[in-house]
Amino acid sequence: MRMTGRGWWITALIVPPMAFVALFIIYPIVAAFTYAFFDWQGLLRGDFIGLANFHKVLFEEPYAAWTRNAFTHNIMVFVALMVLQNGLGFFLAYALWRELPGARFHRIAVFLPVVLSTVIVGYLFKLFMHPLFGVFNISLRGIGLGGLAQPWLGQDSTALWALIIANAWHMLGFPTLVFLAGMQRIPTEMLDAVRMETQSEWVKITKIVWPLVAPSATVVFVLLFVGAFNWFELPYIMAGLDGSPYGSTDVLGLYFYRTAFGGVSSGQPNFGLGSALAVLIFVFIAAIASVITVRLRAREIQL
Amino acid sequence: MARLSLRGIKKSFKTANVLHGIDLDIGDREFVVFVGPSGCGKSTLLRLIAGLDPITEGEFVLNDQRMNDVPPSKRGIAMVFQSYALYPHMDVYENMAFGARLMGLTKPEVEARIAEAARMLRLEPLLKRYPRELSGGQRQRVAIGRALVRKPEVFLLDEPLSNLDAALRSEVRLEIARLHRQIGGTMIYVTHDQVEAMTLADRIVVMNLGRIEQVGAPRELYETPANTFVAGFIGSPKMALVNVQKTSDGITFAGGDTLALPRLPAMGDGPLKIGVRPDAWSLSRDLASPGIAASVVYTEYLGENAFVYTRLTDGTLVGVRTTPNELYEPDESVRLSVDPVAIHYFSAEDGRRLPA
Repeated sequence: MRMTGRGWWITALIVPPMAFVALFIIYPIVAAFTYAFFDWQGLLRGDFIGLANFHKVLFEEPYAAWTRNAFTHNIMVFVALMVLQNGLGFFLAYALWRELPGARFHRIAVFLPVVLSTVIVGYLFKLFMHPLFGVFNISLRGIGLGGLAQPWLGQDSTALWALIIANAWHMLGFPTLVFLAGMQRIPTEMLDAVRMETQSEWVKITKIVWPLVAPSATVVFVLLFVGAFNWFELPYIMAGLDGSPYGSTDVLGLYFYRTAFGGVSSGQPNFGLGSALAVLIFVFIAAIASVITVRLRAREIQL
Repeated sequence: MARLSLRGIKKSFKTANVLHGIDLDIGDREFVVFVGPSGCGKSTLLRLIAGLDPITEGEFVLNDQRMNDVPPSKRGIAMVFQSYALYPHMDVYENMAFGARLMGLTKPEVEARIAEAARMLRLEPLLKRYPRELSGGQRQRVAIGRALVRKPEVFLLDEPLSNLDAALRSEVRLEIARLHRQIGGTMIYVTHDQVEAMTLADRIVVMNLGRIEQVGAPRELYETPANTFVAGFIGSPKMALVNVQKTSDGITFAGGDTLALPRLPAMGDGPLKIGVRPDAWSLSRDLASPGIAASVVYTEYLGENAFVYTRLTDGTLVGVRTTPNELYEPDESVRLSVDPVAIHYFSAEDGRRLPA
């Protein structure tokens, strides 16, 4: 078959991204799957050992305890961000949508942090939460609540929450924007119709607005789920590779990185264990995200 | 019982004044239609009555109670929207039950009301369907049902037929008329379609540019329009409005043709506007006959009759109803004559009706 000019064009446009996807996305996933079944000595691939790596990270101490610890933290992060980021985002979107005073300014203000790099946000919040001259503690002391001042990032009772707050501040604008877009699709006459029947904002939100923004909720929930279990940059910048203090901010992303590539306190790189972890994370995220998507899709309504 | 009283209602959005002082009383069980061209303020007025927008100035009283600051859901008013505004995530039953439950009715009461409304609107087989599974006419009936279930004192209908095709429109129109007789509530209906207004209304409120031009029964508006706006708005094809000069015993047209008239408004000689409906003109090909010179623009053939549009020498377009066997060609010269008793007289300055 002879190529037409148009055919060449299409090929030229399709081949580079396809090659990119194959090389940098598909190949690493497949590679990680195969690596997970081998015994590794540093960068040297050893024997095929079946599911031994998986068994080790899931059931053998101390790996199993580390896995459990990191996984628990991921779940906490997911639940907390669901409330702080998506929950708050929904109500913020509602307030912006109802054109409360200052809505135009806040629409931009809320979204602005999303544009910032995670590195910048992490670094800034590390400064904000500094025990002595961080803005958090200075403010608390300034309003006479010095007793509440904490070394936020330095103690295991608050460190993970400090990271969660920083992440929520950073990304809050995203669900807000998606929910706002969903709300703006609701016809104004439908809102008028509800207003003829009730004046309760709560009824309007729970019975009409929430069900009608379901498509936005699907997107936002799935992305948050994936994000929460892939969480890496912010804890890496703010708490370091070891999830300090004492692993209280350790999450699967950090744990995987330490295991696979090694670290100051975690010793030699181990591609086998690391790949087994990566595969487990991937399978877990893919499976649950599919279930969430399918379940939520069923609730969606054509406006 | 529902008596509405609008007193000096004004509405402005930021700097734009939309309504300039509306005074209107609506009686119990009355079917009132607000009609006017787009942008005349009729839908705005309806939204003020509903409470969806705040009243800038003036007072809205329902059954001796001032309503200005009462929220929409507490006014005892239900509204049917142009787009029907059904809740897409609820089936027909739930759409109707939603408002009823919020009124604090018990479950059996809600069920009884829905059963009644469903029977009246023939919705029984559709109760478990979702709005997206319904046709336009069915959605319309559900929207009306949703209003019925609340048993409001006043029904507001905002252009409820404009999203339906022509055949369905006349069917639903009859349905609404029947419903009004059956339930006897006060209904306020907004439309830009004068046929809907004429067929449904006990009284029509003709609005233009944020003011009421005339309020009256359909026949009253048709037979004695208060001004040139109402004269031109009610009736299709439009009443022809012709500028003439009044003389001592008749009128003179711009082209010099004269018409002797036994009955004229009491005023000095001078400019005057006459209005004549298409059925009061007649056409003649005999150019020597008395009458007014005109030339044919085009002819509309409608089956049982035809409308011939002609142009007078001063450019005024005049529609004439004829029988379908006299068809006229464009540019043909004709003579128009007019039935003197069917002439409406209006002031040339402000367009007000002048009694003759």
